[in-house]
Amino acid sequence: MTAVRTVAIVGGGQAASVATRTLRRRGYDGSIVIFGDEPHRPYQRPPLSKEYLAEGDGSGLFLLPEDWTATHDVDVHTSARVMALDAGAGRLVLEDGTTAQADAILLATGGRPRRLPGVEGSPVHYLRTKADADSLRASIGPGARVVIVGAGFIGAEVASSALSLGADVTVIEAAGVPLQRVLGEQLGAVCAGIQRDANVDLRTGVAVNEVREEGENVVVDTSDGPIVGDVAVVAIGILPNQELAEASGLVVGNGIHVDEYCRTSVPSVYAAGDVANQLHPLLGVRLRVEHFDNASKQAAVAANNILGRHTRSEDPHWFWSDQFGVNLQCVGHPSDSDEVILRGDLESRDFTAFFLHEGKIRAAFSMNRGDDIAVARELITMGASVPSATLADTDMDLFDALEMA
Amino acid sequence: MAQWHEVATVADLKVRKKKAVVVDGTPVALFYINGKVYALNDICIHEQRNLSKGAILFGKVVCPGHQWKFDPETGEPDDQDGCQPTYAVQIGESGAVSVSLESRAVVS
Repeated sequence: MTAVRTVAIVGGGQAASVATRTLRRRGYDGSIVIFGDEPHRPYQRPPLSKEYLAEGDGSGLFLLPEDWTATHDVDVHTSARVMALDAGAGRLVLEDGTTAQADAILLATGGRPRRLPGVEGSPVHYLRTKADADSLRASIGPGARVVIVGAGFIGAEVASSALSLGADVTVIEAAGVPLQRVLGEQLGAVCAGIQRDANVDLRTGVAVNEVREEGENVVVDTSDGPIVGDVAVVAIGILPNQELAEASGLVVGNGIHVDEYCRTSVPSVYAAGDVANQLHPLLGVRLRVEHFDNASKQAAVAANNILGRHTRSEDPHWFWSDQFGVNLQCVGHPSDSDEVILRGDLESRDFTAFFLHEGKIRAAFSMNRGDDIAVARELITMGASVPSATLADTDMDLFDALEMA
Repeated sequence: MAQWHEVATVADLKVRKKKAVVVDGTPVALFYINGKVYALNDICIHEQRNLSKGAILFGKVVCPGHQWKFDPETGEPDDQDGCQPTYAVQIGESGAVSVSLESRAVVS
């Protein structure tokens, strides 16, 4: 294998930034070119629904400042959409007709919001980019009636930020409780509780039929009747930006298929982040994960493998949310567990729920107990069995359980 | 000249592993890790959570807010920019732990 001298990264988000920094940290001194289709240099998205939306402070947003890329000789192209990829030849064609050639290519094209059919127009917002956040922020002020479709993480975080801007917030959720599919009935109800206590008008088990403009208002027609607002935000998930990969013949299907080394079906082409659908060694199934930490981990793995350092992406998935003054974290995959052990107190929102499968810890979800999550991550990786009494007793040190596992 | 403030005892830290104290108005998190006492600024440089409420894992301090991992010796986070301030620690003969707001690196 000849040494890689040129790396091209398609996409300018978290994965692109981490891959770039990893390549340089590992001593790679060849060229790195990033093609992002947004007008901005790489930035992180988690604050867009949280601090950035609530406070408008963009100082911590940007991931690869110009002085860093200048010092580290990284070529960042903004508003540069890649139109075609000849995967076998390692060639990219840009919108302006120019081409780029690379020994290795990382596809980190992310995703775009899933849209409600027929729902467009100026008072209807989706949130994915900095521009989306800027436009949403500009439309939310004290007393604004904000109607949010979807009570998942983005919906809840937007609700929390909109409240802090003085808005009246209604959230519509199709399921019986928020995050029902991930967390189940009981914990979803706790999530509903933090929204309602904060003064969100949360309507669960409600389907949206139509969103339309009516004069100055936006009307959300639901199975529960019409809800009138000034602003509607649709937060019902994202779709992977896999078209470039698909057109170039890569194997796709709910994202770009990669193995545990983040390799696509074509040699020297890698994928990471929201767009990557990875075969996960710990779980033995394919998963496309839409979280910051996964993007960072996969990007680091891809960068290492580009340099010939065999590295697997096999950590349990981790994500967090900050909403209504509560810190939520989840590690692993709660689905298909057969037992849930509670540590702490649901009422005071100071707890960790451990999800077990045949006695082994598969996942943990916490409110305001991030220290448990650090240990849980290790226990999940080990496939450890810990006595339920230990997990449930906040006086028992989880780290001792880790040492004994 | 470093000014020392007595804030804990080794015996206490051995049991509790971590403790939040205030030194001259500065919140400081003390940790007992592999037989040594470390002092870091208690407020995480990332999102202002309390490191003293975090976990100690494999010799690193893990912030409970967003799982940033810090080297208690240098304050450097794994795979992140920036540096958590560290402070010099002195252990008296009786096991009294004193902290100075001088950087650990400067004093040692």
